[in-house]
Amino acid sequence: MGFDLPFNVIADGGGLMNLKGCLILAGVIFSIGAWGVVARRNVLTVLISLELMLNAVNLVFASFARMHANMTQSANNATAGENGQIFALFIIAVAAAEAAVGLAILITYFRNKETVDTRDMKELKQ
Amino acid sequence: MSDLAFIVAAVVCVLSAGLIVSRKNPVYSVVFMLPFFLGMTTIFVLLNATFLASIQMIVYGGAILVVFLFVIMLINLRPEELREDFSMLSWFISALAAGLLAATMALFANRGTTNDMEVKFASAIATREHGAIFGSIESIAYPLFEKQMIPFELASVLIVVATLGAVLLSKKRV
Repeated sequence: MGFDLPFNVIADGGGLMNLKGCLILAGVIFSIGAWGVVARRNVLTVLISLELMLNAVNLVFASFARMHANMTQSANNATAGENGQIFALFIIAVAAAEAAVGLAILITYFRNKETVDTRDMKELKQ
Repeated sequence: MSDLAFIVAAVVCVLSAGLIVSRKNPVYSVVFMLPFFLGMTTIFVLLNATFLASIQMIVYGGAILVVFLFVIMLINLRPEELREDFSMLSWFISALAAGLLAATMALFANRGTTNDMEVKFASAIATREHGAIFGSIESIAYPLFEKQMIPFELASVLIVVATLGAVLLSKKRV
């Protein structure tokens, strides 16, 4: 797909750098993160894997924002493309808050129980 | 050119994501977060989300990664305390499930993207009315402070609450 349009600034849209490639990459990264959340037993690694999943979602938002960048001419919405990137910015803000609170809970738990292993976290089961 | 950069960044991202998930010691996981975020930033730049890329680098590479490292140093896990994480069976089953998830999403991405969408994606980059390039800080600022002002303020409230919560949680003896 060789589209040689005059107002392309960086990417030329050929080969793998297309919407499909970006979505598949995001899917692979999301799956790796989900694998870490499900399989790992260390709370720190689980939290890091959550960050991977949030990053994959950001990638999808940025891809679709680029797809909708030229909606200005067609729709009555002057900033259709930017809205996707702004949503990704909000996701980054929420991810930062989530990391701070999650790690604070982890520190408190470690001070009381001396462990960060999810196999030891079974007080509710007993 | 951008194609080559995309492939390199994608390979770096996937490899370091795999290493993040599979390392036994969380210190190595955090170290491999850095190439992952660098690759992600590269892809954002290639998608013309330049402001998003810089924020990604500042917030993830500068703040979140350091906080993770700080917590690892604070709780001071000794390597001999780290038990083996998964048995062979659960490793196999969860890897199979994750592979199925990836395959399903790739299938939907493959089916769902029409040629029309690819054309729009490839021909994306327009300049805005104020002369701002798509994805730059100027073009982000107008919608962020006009249309999305209430979510923006709510995000600041959320961050204040999270900060207070983190301080309270780690200060108090529970």
